[in-house]
Amino acid sequence: MSVPSTIAEAVHLPNPSIDRWRNEGKKVLGYFCSYIPDEIIYAANMLPVRMRAEGCADTPTADAYMSTTTCSFTRCVLELATRKEYQFLDGVVAYNSCDQVRRLYDNLKFKAPFPYQYFLSIPATLTDVTLEWYKHELSKFKKNLEDNFATAVTNDDLKRAIEIYNKSRDLLRELYELRKRERPPVSGTEVMNVLLASVTLPREEFNGLLASLLEVCRGREAESDYTARLMLVGSHLDDPEFVEMIEELGGLVVTDSLCFGTRYFSGLVDVNSAPLDALAERYFSKVSCPRMTGGHPERAKFVMDQVKEFNVDGVIIQRMKFCPTWWGEAFMLREDLKKLGVPCLELEKEYVLSGVGAMKTRIQAFLETLEER
Amino acid sequence: MSEELFKKYEEMAQEEWPEDLGLWKNLFLGNIALAKENLAKGMPYTPIPELQLEMFARIARARMSGKPIVMYPFNYGPELFYAMNVEPFMQEVFSVGLAPFRLNEPYIDLANQMGYGDNPTICNAQRPLIATYTRGDAPKSDLLFYLSTPCNSLATTYQVYSHMTGVPAFTLDIPYWSYDPSSEFYDEKTVDYVIRQLKDLVSWLEGRTNQKFHEDKFQETMNLVNQARENVMEFNDLLKAVPCPVNSLNGFANFMIMAFSGGTPDAVRMTKWMRDYAKGNVEKGVGGVPDEKIRIAWPYTHVFFDSQLFPWIEETFNAVVIMDILGHYHVGPHDTSNLDKCFESLALGTLDYSMIDTCRGPAEYYIDYLLRFVNDYKIDCVVMPIQFACKHIYAITNLAAEAVRREAGLPVLVFGCDPYDSREVPSEEIRGKIEEFITEIVM
Repeated sequence: MSVPSTIAEAVHLPNPSIDRWRNEGKKVLGYFCSYIPDEIIYAANMLPVRMRAEGCADTPTADAYMSTTTCSFTRCVLELATRKEYQFLDGVVAYNSCDQVRRLYDNLKFKAPFPYQYFLSIPATLTDVTLEWYKHELSKFKKNLEDNFATAVTNDDLKRAIEIYNKSRDLLRELYELRKRERPPVSGTEVMNVLLASVTLPREEFNGLLASLLEVCRGREAESDYTARLMLVGSHLDDPEFVEMIEELGGLVVTDSLCFGTRYFSGLVDVNSAPLDALAERYFSKVSCPRMTGGHPERAKFVMDQVKEFNVDGVIIQRMKFCPTWWGEAFMLREDLKKLGVPCLELEKEYVLSGVGAMKTRIQAFLETLEER
Repeated sequence: MSEELFKKYEEMAQEEWPEDLGLWKNLFLGNIALAKENLAKGMPYTPIPELQLEMFARIARARMSGKPIVMYPFNYGPELFYAMNVEPFMQEVFSVGLAPFRLNEPYIDLANQMGYGDNPTICNAQRPLIATYTRGDAPKSDLLFYLSTPCNSLATTYQVYSHMTGVPAFTLDIPYWSYDPSSEFYDEKTVDYVIRQLKDLVSWLEGRTNQKFHEDKFQETMNLVNQARENVMEFNDLLKAVPCPVNSLNGFANFMIMAFSGGTPDAVRMTKWMRDYAKGNVEKGVGGVPDEKIRIAWPYTHVFFDSQLFPWIEETFNAVVIMDILGHYHVGPHDTSNLDKCFESLALGTLDYSMIDTCRGPAEYYIDYLLRFVNDYKIDCVVMPIQFACKHIYAITNLAAEAVRREAGLPVLVFGCDPYDSREVPSEEIRGKIEEFITEIVM
């Protein structure tokens, strides 16, 4: 089964849907990581696009400014920005998701400024006090959008955006439910394409496409066979080729704990509460990113629950080179998985797929061990 | 240090210490021997040996008496812990303290073998903690406290430690402040946010120890902090004099005093000694470095494995390093007239603490700090030896260097190294870079 062409196109930035949106005179904002509610941007009638740096082959300028020991994702974004390859964006929104993204934001501001830049201070702990702070930050962000773009974002606008995004979450959850089947109708690579489309396309358009895709999928079973059912866990991953490489070797990715995947769409926003409060509560209660301190036990439990629900044979933890938070998380998680007898492979990778030969060998060996079990 | 103190510590070393304090005791004994040796050599007095020995002794006493120990990082003052009669144990003793003797390097190697990070990814200021625990060489703490700032690396290692040991942890979230050139870098909301978390910390400590929070004791402690801070601020001002009245290593002393003993009478006494020493030298026109020719800003940490680096810089170039980023502790005194004000002072002290103040916001925080520093202290050049894993500073170092060159017209040397591991970039290479920079560009 192949995903619709619009979804396949949406893997790339920019793409025809973004062009159409801009041709209607509407703004496009890039944002980083999964704690900025894209609903607020959408409610302001702007298109939120998750920041990626597809196709970045080298990073000489970014290496000079950010050092070669920051993660390659942040260096790639800075490099593309200095080459003016984000001209389709009217602005960029970031927060203190990690040291490297916050310093990327600084370097963008100094070396490749966007017409609009905004930074949120989002707490790294979950308490009543920090939740209140987060709510205040969201309200400041909304006001800043209103002031800068001479627009008004009403509660009704927010509620409408929340409903549209909740619909996406429902549809994505349904897509994942289909992956629980013994012969899932979609591959992990196809799902990665869908997930990338969700953070790129206008959301109503995406919902329509995903609903059609689900229609087709419900009655279909995959013909191909696989060696093992896998769960992908880890840091920023927006590369369908990486998933494809695993699946070409015989693995089938059936679920994940990724910030483009379950950590992005898990948990609905309460439509009956005050919208900004409801958004803050949902984004704070979703499956957390390791940037949130003290959240490892819940994240580990989530992984274990997924392993059971999706009948996972093995877990692949992929972490971006030079990412301290994910190294720590991987260190704890692999110990947890070991205790519970869940096989695990840890891969360190650059943002742009490289060292493919060695990586394939390790994945192949891992799949063989799973097959022997 | 007095004979009486030596005797007291030597007697303590005769006692039987708990098993997990084996390395701790050796460090204690080593420091006694070193202090005696320096005394015999006629080295000038500083309060640092006593400070260090007392820190070792306090932890040992706490372990032997069953007093709860809380582990905390270098970038937080221990005053609240003293006020609540909980023994503070700064974790970085195992990286900074062992580095000059290369004794931390086996722990770095063990962390590597365990698969916990590598040098460019996770900072070796904290990473050996995981290995020292695994080997049973670190005093086990009962509680763990850390902050979300300055870096992910620190927060990550503390979480891993908590995960491995089951020691309960409290994280204080430091807000990331948007840049506003006219601001004091915090507003009422930020301060209130930190105050509320500090009050939660008090409840958390009470709930996990038998210790109770007493308002009077807290106020007394914060008054002591204030007295020490007054001394430190005066000391900082005195270092603006030309020649600088203290040598490069003494510029680090007040940070150590406040980080180990802030909130105690010892800290007041020791910071006063530092202040008086600097003041006396200013009045006499005496420099900490004879015939001072070059004043260096060092807006990063020491190269801890090379304790002779600063003396070498002094002797070779008649240059003085005027306080590193930690040594420039610049938290002022505050109103502590009532309980609310005491909490406010604690919160402000937290936000302004070394490497919190410069690192809890955008690049401009760091750059503005550096520009003010080079101007206030009449700096001739800037040296930045950045830890490879220190993403939050390394990734803005060149922005800062450009700003210093452009706005202050000063030369800047930036290089990567590991201040905790002599094997990454060895002393000779570091000295070579500094020598080339000073002789070819600065002079």
